[in-house]
Amino acid sequence: MRKISRLGSEARLGWTLVAPALAVIALIAIFPLGWTFWESLHLHELRMPWLGKPFIGVANYVEIAKDPRFWAALGHTAFFTVVSISLELLIGLFLALAMNRVFRGRGFVRAAVLVPWAIPTVVAALLWRFIFESQGGIVNALMIKAGFLDQPMVWFIEASTAWVPVILADVWKTTPFVALLLLAGLQNIDLSLYEAAAVDGANAWWQLRHITLPLLKPAILVTLIFRTLDGFRVFDLIYVLTGGGPGTSTEPVALYTFNALLQNLRFGYGSALSVVIFVITFALAMLYVRGLGVRLGGDES
Amino acid sequence: MNLRASLAPLAFLLACTRAPSSNETVLTFSGSALGAEGTLVARQLKRFMQLNPGIRVELQRTPDDASQRHQLYVQWLNARVGNPSILQLDVVWTPEFAAAGWVLPLDKYGPEKSKFFPATITANTWAGQLYALPWFADVGLLYRRTDLVPNEPSSLEEIVADARREMARGGGPRYGIVFQGARYEGLITGFVEYLGAFGARIIDDSGNVVVNRPEAVRALEFMRDELYDSKVAPLEVLTWHEEEARFAFQNGNAVFMRNWPYPVAAMSDTAQSPVAGKFAVSPIPKSATAPNGHSTAALGGAQLAINAYTDHPAAAYKLIAYLTAPEQMLERAQAVGQYPTRFGLYTDPRLASAISIPMESARRAIESATPRPVTPIYTELSEILQIELHRALVRQAEPRDALDAAAAKINALIERTGMRKLMRARVAPPPQPPDTNGHGE
Amino acid sequence: MKTVRTGSTRWGGWVFAGALILLMVFTLFPFYWAIVASFTSDAALFRDPSLWPQHLILDHYRALFIDRDFITPIRNSLIVAGTTTLFCLVVGTLAAYALARLEFRGKAPIMAFILAVTMFPQISIVSPLYLLLRSLHLIDTYPGLIMPYMTFAMPLTVWVLTGSIRQIPRDLEEAAHVDGASRRQSFTKILLPLAVPSLATTGILTFIYCWNEFLFALSFTLGPERQTVPVAIALFRGQYQVPWGEILAAAVIATAPVAAMVLVFQRRIVQGLTAGAVKG
Repeated sequence: MRKISRLGSEARLGWTLVAPALAVIALIAIFPLGWTFWESLHLHELRMPWLGKPFIGVANYVEIAKDPRFWAALGHTAFFTVVSISLELLIGLFLALAMNRVFRGRGFVRAAVLVPWAIPTVVAALLWRFIFESQGGIVNALMIKAGFLDQPMVWFIEASTAWVPVILADVWKTTPFVALLLLAGLQNIDLSLYEAAAVDGANAWWQLRHITLPLLKPAILVTLIFRTLDGFRVFDLIYVLTGGGPGTSTEPVALYTFNALLQNLRFGYGSALSVVIFVITFALAMLYVRGLGVRLGGDES
Repeated sequence: MNLRASLAPLAFLLACTRAPSSNETVLTFSGSALGAEGTLVARQLKRFMQLNPGIRVELQRTPDDASQRHQLYVQWLNARVGNPSILQLDVVWTPEFAAAGWVLPLDKYGPEKSKFFPATITANTWAGQLYALPWFADVGLLYRRTDLVPNEPSSLEEIVADARREMARGGGPRYGIVFQGARYEGLITGFVEYLGAFGARIIDDSGNVVVNRPEAVRALEFMRDELYDSKVAPLEVLTWHEEEARFAFQNGNAVFMRNWPYPVAAMSDTAQSPVAGKFAVSPIPKSATAPNGHSTAALGGAQLAINAYTDHPAAAYKLIAYLTAPEQMLERAQAVGQYPTRFGLYTDPRLASAISIPMESARRAIESATPRPVTPIYTELSEILQIELHRALVRQAEPRDALDAAAAKINALIERTGMRKLMRARVAPPPQPPDTNGHGE
Repeated sequence: MKTVRTGSTRWGGWVFAGALILLMVFTLFPFYWAIVASFTSDAALFRDPSLWPQHLILDHYRALFIDRDFITPIRNSLIVAGTTTLFCLVVGTLAAYALARLEFRGKAPIMAFILAVTMFPQISIVSPLYLLLRSLHLIDTYPGLIMPYMTFAMPLTVWVLTGSIRQIPRDLEEAAHVDGASRRQSFTKILLPLAVPSLATTGILTFIYCWNEFLFALSFTLGPERQTVPVAIALFRGQYQVPWGEILAAAVIATAPVAAMVLVFQRRIVQGLTAGAVKG
């Protein structure tokens, strides 16, 4: 350990090195975030400027708590996030392990795997819409040929079936991201651990459970946090695929916020929705940190 | 890179970075640079600049997609940005922008209100003042396959009967009628037409919400029956926007289609359209069973308004007056087939060759057009209605209950925003019967 | 280059290969279909979409480059994404080094704070961000996009790199310190080379994030000179019309630089620790 440096100079160096990052964030993000908090405490309806912009305290938040559409949207978001993340972690882990091995065509796999993530979200959503279209969509065509269906199914008019293309599209698009994050974590695992375990007669499954997964915890944590953030902010994908429909059965909170802010021009209410989303995601992130036993500030063994 | 493409951004950059010289007024026009429309706009702006030497107009490219454009406008106007000086508004945005103080009232410039179709003027009037000039009109129309249904149907019931007959024939199309039924604004435009056919409305002249009256419920039931009872409309339409419906009809899979005028050009192209020369367009008829029903069309289209934060309102008005003058409107009809909003042009023979449906039909359709409720809270109102309508159409709710819920929520919205007084003060005239200029049918 | 071979039996090998192939099909199929569709006319697409190309046309690609000058948005995207990635890596690595290797109070709050900025939905912050950028006269400029992108891409860089650096054993740096190397030397000569795989990974992730970002690009640029690829693609849409063929052609073209970059970097990504340096 570093016994030589004094705490003072190490702290100074530490702060100096994080300063640029903090400065950029402070310059760009502080104002918008503060503004949003501030707006959430006011009544601000752009369509009715004669109402002014009175301070109303937590009235917006009270309205949110009583708004059934908000709670429904929250439920949709949670459902979508949980299902997507689970699938992405499973498949992503498999992919990461695969990309870590030596085999022919590995380079191709690595490049190919990133293609979905390289396509703009809006285009990806349009692609998956096409694929699940009732007349002329490939999925229906294949399912009819395979005998699972008698006639084309209209995927997007039932809430339960509308989620299928949405989740598939998201899994397709972001599993590469998850795979890469996990791969970065895999890289840092000491190979000698595996060799020692192999010598002791442990099989692949045991190695996975007792070496890989525990040591992958930090990477899994990062993945969980960032995917949850993305999941709770999902907008483009659902906007293009279902528009939140049928009815409002697939509407996530971000789409609801978009409606409030930019369609209905209710800046106060929309800002309060944003703050609520922030608080929820922050709470979740801290839960992950606790749950996975990773200390943010220090080293783990 | 062709010359025009490289000049345009350069010109725009110049407009951005140079302060205008003291004897030159610079205006920015919000528009698209796409295809034939882009060429037309550039041409008209250039002529305007020649006629008005002290004014320079730059094109500021904005999305054609209404939702994206709305978002950008809100952002800019909320920041009190004066560009673009001229805004291109969707027909339902005018009261919203007017109430927010984002566009200027135009009455003081003396616009020729009486020369435009009354419905288009109503849609752009808020609190007694005109806030935008109607630029071109879109109306909902009924498309039919003339090889299957030679005569224009006189009622909705006749449409259903014809559709069933043709679908049942061996080798007939697989769909009877296709329309835009996804949960978005297009659904409301279609619904408004069914409402009119049954003599119902969303909001009456006194500002009362009447969308749950019996006639309206019958209209919604009729729509739903098309899907589940007579099955002339496929369930897919509940996820379709304009393009999906267009392609279904264009590929010969539908007997009827409800859509705006824009597909006519593409569908008349023999190279890509199997139905070229085999379709006709007519106004949407009323219901034969409703005593107060009348043929109507949803009114769409674009309007030109002046940004309230611009430095040159008078020059801006000159430009929008120019663009909405008869010659420019005629030129637009000839170049891109969009319908003029001045009814006087509909007796001009030059228009006949420009729009591909008979002038009479077009005029009738626009005259009977119904504006959607003219109120600043329209987007929220529409959203409520979209959700409830869609619920009824996917059978998550009964039409009566869905419309009752919609009415209750809309009333609550009106109360919450204090709009009741304002909506009552400003009476929207009901759609006028065909005009008495000698060409009535 | 060492990678793991975790006890593969022949049977396990086949299962593995089978699953991988299935995954590849799932991954590439939509893209394959997009390529096919980009060579098909729009009308044919809706009439009878099929897996095998029927009647190929070049119209969409021609329209892309001739009518729409697609080169400019590609250039803009490359500049913005490239610069952002570079800055993020530099600034992020410094911060990650401090958070991973140095002891000082406030590390946890710093990490939480850096993360917190990304927890707001983008839509909420677009309006105030626009107001801010406008007051700084950065609308429709490259810095006007790079700075917001950095702010929202950097948390990923910092978090991933911090985790990675923490997992790199300190032995080597300490050995170097004992040998008299300064902190800076041990950072640049020892730690950095070991962190290259993580740097490459986060570099790619950041680049792709910037490449695909739409909302900020739409809101903070005004004209074709500065608009990026997603915005250009979105502007293809007419009021009702969606030019499928051109959109897909644009997507295919837009994916190419990214795919190329990945192919170049993929060797770097999986450079593992050399066994000899760690032991002893």
